Amino acid sequence: MSGSKPDILWAPHHVDRFVVCDSELSLYHIESAVSSELKSGSLRLSEETTATLLSINSDTPYMKCVAWYPKYDPECLLAVAQANGRVVLTSLGQDHNSKSKELIGKEFVPKHARQCNTLAWNPLDSNWLAAGLDKHRADFSVLIWDISSKYTPESAVATEKVRLSTGDAEAGLVVTKPLYELGQNDACLSLCWLPRDQKLLLAGMHRNLAIFDLRNTSQKMFVNTKAVQGVTVDPYFHDRVASFYEGQVAIWDLRKFEKPVLTLTEQPKPLTKVAWCPTRTGLLATLTRDSNIIRLYDMQHTPTPIGDETEPTIIERSVQPCENYIASFAWHPTSQNRMVVVTPNRTMSDFTVFERISLAWSPVTSLMWACGRHLYECTEEGKASSLEKDIATKMRLRALSRYGLDTEQVWRNHLLAGNEDPQLKSLWYTLHFMKQYTEDMDQKFTGNKGSLVYAGIKSIVKSSVGTTENLRHSRNGFDSQADIIQYLSEERSLALQLCGWIKKGTDLDVEPFLHSLEQEGDWERAAAVALFNLDIRRAIQILNKGASFGKGDLNLNVVAMALSGYTDEKNSLWREMCSTLRLQLNNPYLCAMFAFLTSESGSYDGVLYEKNVAVRDRVAFACKFLIDSQLNRFIEKLTNELKDAGNLEGILLTGLTKDGVDLMESYVDRTGDVQTASYCMLQGSPSDVLKDERVQYWIENYRNLLDAWRFWHKRAEFDIHRSKLDPSSKPLAQVFVSCNFCGKSISYSCSAIPHQGRGFSQYGVSGSPTKSKVTSCPGCRKPLPRCALCLINMGTPVSSCP
Amino acid sequence: MELHILEHRLKVASIAKERIQLFTYGLIKLAFLSSKTRCKFFSLTETPEDYTIIVDEEGFLELPSSEHLSVADATWLALNVVSGGGSFSSSQPIGVTKIAKSVIAPLADQNISVFMLSTYQTDFILIRERDLPFVMHTLAAEFTILRVVNGEMVAADDFGITNGFVKPKLVQRPVIHPLSSPSNMFCVTSLDPDTLPTVATLLMDVMFYSNGVKDSVVGNEDSGHIRFFSFSLIEGYISLVMDVQTQQRFPNNLLFTSASGELWKMVRIGGQPLGFDECGIVAQISEPLAASDIPAYYISTFKFDHALVPEENINGVINALQVSQAEKH
Repeated sequence: MSGSKPDILWAPHHVDRFVVCDSELSLYHIESAVSSELKSGSLRLSEETTATLLSINSDTPYMKCVAWYPKYDPECLLAVAQANGRVVLTSLGQDHNSKSKELIGKEFVPKHARQCNTLAWNPLDSNWLAAGLDKHRADFSVLIWDISSKYTPESAVATEKVRLSTGDAEAGLVVTKPLYELGQNDACLSLCWLPRDQKLLLAGMHRNLAIFDLRNTSQKMFVNTKAVQGVTVDPYFHDRVASFYEGQVAIWDLRKFEKPVLTLTEQPKPLTKVAWCPTRTGLLATLTRDSNIIRLYDMQHTPTPIGDETEPTIIERSVQPCENYIASFAWHPTSQNRMVVVTPNRTMSDFTVFERISLAWSPVTSLMWACGRHLYECTEEGKASSLEKDIATKMRLRALSRYGLDTEQVWRNHLLAGNEDPQLKSLWYTLHFMKQYTEDMDQKFTGNKGSLVYAGIKSIVKSSVGTTENLRHSRNGFDSQADIIQYLSEERSLALQLCGWIKKGTDLDVEPFLHSLEQEGDWERAAAVALFNLDIRRAIQILNKGASFGKGDLNLNVVAMALSGYTDEKNSLWREMCSTLRLQLNNPYLCAMFAFLTSESGSYDGVLYEKNVAVRDRVAFACKFLIDSQLNRFIEKLTNELKDAGNLEGILLTGLTKDGVDLMESYVDRTGDVQTASYCMLQGSPSDVLKDERVQYWIENYRNLLDAWRFWHKRAEFDIHRSKLDPSSKPLAQVFVSCNFCGKSISYSCSAIPHQGRGFSQYGVSGSPTKSKVTSCPGCRKPLPRCALCLINMGTPVSSCP
Repeated sequence: MELHILEHRLKVASIAKERIQLFTYGLIKLAFLSSKTRCKFFSLTETPEDYTIIVDEEGFLELPSSEHLSVADATWLALNVVSGGGSFSSSQPIGVTKIAKSVIAPLADQNISVFMLSTYQTDFILIRERDLPFVMHTLAAEFTILRVVNGEMVAADDFGITNGFVKPKLVQRPVIHPLSSPSNMFCVTSLDPDTLPTVATLLMDVMFYSNGVKDSVVGNEDSGHIRFFSFSLIEGYISLVMDVQTQQRFPNNLLFTSASGELWKMVRIGGQPLGFDECGIVAQISEPLAASDIPAYYISTFKFDHALVPEENINGVINALQVSQAEKH
């Protein structure tokens, strides 16, 4: 342009050509050139592309703006607007026999000379070219020219002395009569046609944005604003328009034109160009004066703005295509996110805006990321061992296997969970025992100790202080038991029961438990439990059985042998060797057995702090052999340890109390397993734990997770399960029977009527007064329809059916 | 029709011709380096008597205070008439003629003094800021009055002044002051601000250094050429009024000329300096022109007023005005 910065335009139909215009028009051809060598005469635009100058057109002086003919044209027909308001059609091609030949050189002259600010070809009728001019008194500032029209002297300003450059007029190349004249007494700074209709034109006028409808030119829709520069329609969302003023971009929704739906953060320097990306939705590029940065605004995720309150989010980025200041830029019409930029000294650079990467986890452990038009998916590789599976995968499989929903045989839930996690096993056994006991208690005493059971062993043993009786044992192979003291109380046996050692009541027989352990092949544990019940013979017998069972472990025989040599002699060689060598035993139970046998009375740390012995066995052991104070201390300490570790075995101690929620919290923190947490806490339904917001949070999250997996049935099952255990979560009735005449709910009225003191009998209700039968709508007293078969009135509650 | 009250607060000043060198530093800045000042309204008119400056308060700061700078003792506001819609035919007479009946005459009837500045783009009617309530009241019936605040248009408040208005007496307004018509022909033109740098030296020459040339002029103003040149840069728009001889010094195709390329002759109003308080001068001239539908530009300066009428109409205009003048006697 005359003395100002160069502009750049891509050809709309030749994807490899662009024009740079300043004082002249230069057509370039762009091609990919990976090699480092440059052909002579070509310019490097990027690592992959070079440009060659094809032709120069310097026919038109004082150019103000240029617009490329939108129709396919091999000759690169351009409209050029001059500083004096004339619009000239010119071409950059060499072939002068082309179809558009008669258009080339055509000139469109406004009545009064003034600067032409903008040009816009109609996208639907390529004969229409709109030009926006500066103000001149009462003259029009928006002229729409028909490029196919001929110069007609008689229709043109006949009364005025037309002093046109001679020759042009005779050749019929000068047109002075526009097709439409708009915007009288105003200035037009920017223009764009609205894609909605061929005859709608949006113009940035002197102090307002106006929409002209050519079907009725006397009317316009306008909004007063300063943001009148560079109006441009979003190519993907035809009601969205951008315009700017100094450093501020305003985004308009034409359907709600009163004010901008959005203004972008103001730039310190005035803007020079704003353009929507033609290859990607909602991406707006802006350039300010004296800047080497192009700022991009991504309105991809902007919801269509509706209310005044919804301030949509935009992602702002900036790119720096080159070191120098940028004079102008142009998006490539088809190549994705690609643009060329030109600097004031006409160096050019070809540039592709790298697409933001967005990434999302699916609810089923696969990962998606999107970059440009590419979508990548990552899924779990192969079949890793189930222990290494992600918790989401595990939860999903467990949900499918109805985990947590077995409310009768509660312990079975750990099988549904896959029978691979000892903590879950412990948890569900604990819950099973607790439930069993509660039911027993309910039968016996109408449940005054029920709450105690769900409270866990920690509070049970606390309540047992002072009720303990000593029991010196001498049974089954222990020749002298003077130093082994067992303690008994009602609470302690309850604890043992919860630990699973004994069945119920004060019956201390562990034989059924040993039997079940033998069946599971858990020989070492069975032997240890037998020993802790002071039955050394039974222990040896179990070990022998284990050694001979199947391809059993011969070591068990050796252990049995060692065990049989037990002596309570304090300083015997046996004791000495056992206490040192036991540490080399791999099995924690075997280790604990020898620790027990070699320990001093009352100090059983070797057993109690053997980490690999199941918590329930250690607790049961403690309940048998520790005095009250020791027992309390031990339980307290163990509880805190398990709580901190989020070990589910600890539920045995805490029960479903606030402590239990704390423990579960650290378990969920550690694993993310909200499923187990939800089901577990629902078991303790009557207590306050369900009201704990953490519990509600887990439950809600688990429901969301089920929704995310689209496990609608599973979620329904969960909700039913939940409402059974926690009646407060029962959803409100969503289906009502309403009267056809008055529209009121019949069931609602049924319950409401007695309070209003109106007996049904008044309104033709027959039968006994206690069994109310409704035959008419309580609201409007119209008769209710009847079932065709049984003739019972609709709306009769099921309970009152005969 | 809309009447816009622009937000510029203007000063009208006069610089003695022989002392122009004291002010050129600021004037060059205002005229050619607009990005260096916050001035949005600047007009410089050279007449044989003086240089008249109309400039907004921001621009006024660029000028040194000096005994050679006479400033009219008021702040002026610029009004601008915008006719909306397509109801006006494009052959509407331009300039003061268009607004003679709707603005100039009613204000003259209310004894409100106005100062006119026609440019290539539009006509500005300058009024004293203190007269604004009366102006608004007077014109409220005819116009939608909008005020520009921070570049945006807002509806102007009515000051609610009703008293002190006399019913306009429908009297003839004879031309009071003596008239003269210099022989030069003038053109009203403009140029693209982007091309201003290319002609800056030429413009500086014309504006400040053409006095020394003393082209045949001075002394025989009644018949011969007079020195008259007007440059204005208002809200980014440049307007130039110059005689044909000066125009020929500019490169071809650079100045905007209308397709019809009309030329204008001048009617100078006033024998003694007119001052700022007398009302109805513009009305005296514009009403007869409006009656015969002759387009006209009107440029007031510190001492005299100047009307530009099409060259072919000058004799008719002079006759008509002299008839009106004769009625006085």
